[in-house]
Amino acid sequence: MWAMIVKEFRQLKRDRRTLALLVVLPVLLLVVFGYAARFDVSSIPTVVVGPEAAAVAGHLHPPFDLVDVDAAAGRSLAESRLQDGSVAVAVVTSSDRVVVLMDGTQLFAVQAAQAAIAHMAQAAAAGGAAIPPVSVQILYNPTLSTSWIMIPGLTGLILLFIGTLITSLGIVRERQAGTIEQLAVMPFRPWDVILGKIVPYLLLASLDLIAIVVIGMLLFGVPFVGNVATFAIGALLFLLVTLGMGVLVSTVSQNQGQSIQLAIMFVVPQILLSGLIFPVSSMASGVQWIAYILPLKYFIEISRGVMLKASPIGDIWVQLLVLAGMAAIVLGLAMLRFRRDLAPSARHARASGVTPEAVPS
Amino acid sequence: MTWGLEDASVAFGSRVALDHVTLRAEPSTVAIVVGGDGAGKSTLLRALVGLVRLTTGVARRPAKADIGYVPATAGLYADLTVDENLAFSGGAYGLRGAELSRRSAQLLERIGLGSARSRLGGQLSGGMQRKLAVGMALLHRPPMLVLDEPTTGVDPVSRAELWRLIAGAAAEGTAVVAATTYVDEAHRAATVVLLEQGRPIAVGSPSEITAGVPGALGVVRSAAQPAGLSWRWGATWRVWAPSRDLPAGAEPLRPGFDDAVMIAALADVAKERVDARAR
Amino acid sequence: MPALAESRRVTMRFGSFTAVDSVDIAVNRGEVVGLLGANGAGKTTLIRLLLGLVRPSQGEVLLFDATPSMATRRRLGYVPQTLGLYDDMTVRENWRFTAAAFGSTHASLPPAIRDASDDLVGTLPLGLQRRVAFAVAFSHEPELLVLDEPTSGVGPLSRARLWQDIRDSAEHGTGVLVTTHNMEEAAQCDRLVVMAGGRVVAEGTVNDVIAGREVVQVQCAAWQRAFEVLDAEGLIVQVQGDTLRVPGSQRDVRELLARHDIEGAISTVPANLEEAFVSIVSAGSPR
Repeated sequence: MWAMIVKEFRQLKRDRRTLALLVVLPVLLLVVFGYAARFDVSSIPTVVVGPEAAAVAGHLHPPFDLVDVDAAAGRSLAESRLQDGSVAVAVVTSSDRVVVLMDGTQLFAVQAAQAAIAHMAQAAAAGGAAIPPVSVQILYNPTLSTSWIMIPGLTGLILLFIGTLITSLGIVRERQAGTIEQLAVMPFRPWDVILGKIVPYLLLASLDLIAIVVIGMLLFGVPFVGNVATFAIGALLFLLVTLGMGVLVSTVSQNQGQSIQLAIMFVVPQILLSGLIFPVSSMASGVQWIAYILPLKYFIEISRGVMLKASPIGDIWVQLLVLAGMAAIVLGLAMLRFRRDLAPSARHARASGVTPEAVPS
Repeated sequence: MTWGLEDASVAFGSRVALDHVTLRAEPSTVAIVVGGDGAGKSTLLRALVGLVRLTTGVARRPAKADIGYVPATAGLYADLTVDENLAFSGGAYGLRGAELSRRSAQLLERIGLGSARSRLGGQLSGGMQRKLAVGMALLHRPPMLVLDEPTTGVDPVSRAELWRLIAGAAAEGTAVVAATTYVDEAHRAATVVLLEQGRPIAVGSPSEITAGVPGALGVVRSAAQPAGLSWRWGATWRVWAPSRDLPAGAEPLRPGFDDAVMIAALADVAKERVDARAR
Repeated sequence: MPALAESRRVTMRFGSFTAVDSVDIAVNRGEVVGLLGANGAGKTTLIRLLLGLVRPSQGEVLLFDATPSMATRRRLGYVPQTLGLYDDMTVRENWRFTAAAFGSTHASLPPAIRDASDDLVGTLPLGLQRRVAFAVAFSHEPELLVLDEPTSGVGPLSRARLWQDIRDSAEHGTGVLVTTHNMEEAAQCDRLVVMAGGRVVAEGTVNDVIAGREVVQVQCAAWQRAFEVLDAEGLIVQVQGDTLRVPGSQRDVRELLARHDIEGAISTVPANLEEAFVSIVSAGSPR
């Protein structure tokens, strides 16, 4: 039995991918649950408008983070700042009352704001000061329903799975069976092969996407108040990024097992660190940057924005641009590598080296 | 305008996979490349069809649509049915509709799969898979057919049937180039190229190679290993004397093709040793 | 002297399918027996019966003159076609692992593969891998060796070296059972057992198996046309260069060719092992 154990260790030390998983995964989980998994919100971006803005603003202490105080602006500015996501809370003051608008898509920020306001009201009442009537309106997600937040994110998850994991499996299967070589000799152009491999998954992912959105709307009542075309563009760009990832993974994997390992390493961090579950703004600043390189983060902002807030393109153009850039880079790289498989190359590394053998005596 | 390789060499970095090989692919002939694992057979065929670029030398081949290629691994899709495999191959080469079904039916009859059209590729036996793969490559009647180890691992009966299929293609005018590790298959060829570590150590028809054996061959019928360059054959030893002086106890023997192959390999090793020392 | 491994009228059924049908086979000390057969002929099942991995439906299997058991495993060496080596370990590590498993830690690497001791098995050429697999299987000095297609895929020099290793072990007294598809390899064995459809259909030396079978040889300028004609009749025509070989009677062939105005030299020659095998197997089992 000892011999078995020794053998297993020896094999393991040479299996880089499994080792990477063994090392990377615990570190990732540590980072996530140590630094990223926070629901508490320490700062709430806030804007205050209306004639009494200055006075009210004076009462707003941390956790409220006053981004702007503008007495000349009114409710419409407040709503547009909420819509574009630059603030979570917008206070609209007038001579006789205060209306606090909150962005219902930022669940934890809203909860923190509600708690802070209740605390302030208590303190004021205890202090005996006279306060104007304060009413709170939660926009976009009035019931603070978790499923309304999760489901738009889930759409991204589906696209991620299909795009990266399943596409790479499909291509690697061809490599494993040895048929890629044959395709290279048939009268196909490299583009025929690549697109032929990708298009089915593109179509399937799109169908899946529509299904999830429709089911979400019917079963959970998730609204879709925005522009379908905007959503479609965002979805397409994100899909191109994930498909490109899938092709890239397939070009460095020799078999399906390897491609699954690599795909997992791409997908799992995105599930945990892209803002799907834990808000990006709550993540410790040291690790927040990770979210900014994850494509899923940008798509979640697009899907939540369009579905719940009716975000116009003007609000999400940055996310669209980032996704477009990522798609260009990833797809470009993937195509370059894939073409090498299909075009004549004198630099194929061969698995069996040639060792001079002893001559029979 | 003949196809083939002329003084072709392929180097992968510092490793020479093919060393000045000349092979002609002529219509109605079968050319066979024989060698063990790592000898360079696959590289030779891949250079011929254009999957690998030559470092030096010339490769001549017809257009992609005029080549039929079956790589060393199956060459068909395990999760498609026999019919679907043929449809894919046909479609790739522009065969459709009535012509495709006619040609498919013809080939399936020859292969013996006429009644198994809806069986999955992966469910066929090894021999049947190979026959289907060769059939797929022949669907569009390519002028040049290139097969990488078509019969490795296949049972002898399927092997004979495969060669019948291949011979049929040659009879119809196809230029066939095949690679194999089985020396006894080389008999089927009009031209043989024997490869060892990328070098062609014997070239010609089987009878030319057999007749061209240098030195003398002898057989020793005892269990003791004779002096000199020798190898076992069943319970006896074969011994080769390059200088024609057979050791004591050895009866002279007329070399057969297998012996010629062995002797060519031994001569090559001796030569490489000399060359290495000179370097 | 009892045989090392023996089967007496052994039959193996899987449900309604009979994989092995009343087979008698024996492997004695110091001999190399070749088991030749198509896929599905029952070779693999027979091997598994002899190794004691399955128990027969009927008949008797004797391994070292007793029913196969754990104890007999140690006296046995087996090399499957996939070699049973770990690609991601070095030669020496593979050797040590097997030595530890069989408790034969005193053995040291044989000289032939010593140079490669620190190389990863996966990076070695196939011929050397096979020699390593053989050496590893032989490391605990088994009395019976079972080799599955030992030289498949390997070049002439490597094949010769491997057969030298096999012969050396037979001279040591080891009994060797080799399964093969390869006619060249079959010719190296002392004795052949040919299986088809689960039964033994021929036995003996190569010449015994060929048993005087003959084929018709046709040499003519228009070999292509001759081929098409003969092929259209459903005959399995083999081509060698521009010579045709076809089973059948000389007279029928002559008539057939004459009918199509094809002239050539027609003669009868001895069949080779492959042709004999194909004819035996086609006769022995329905296709």
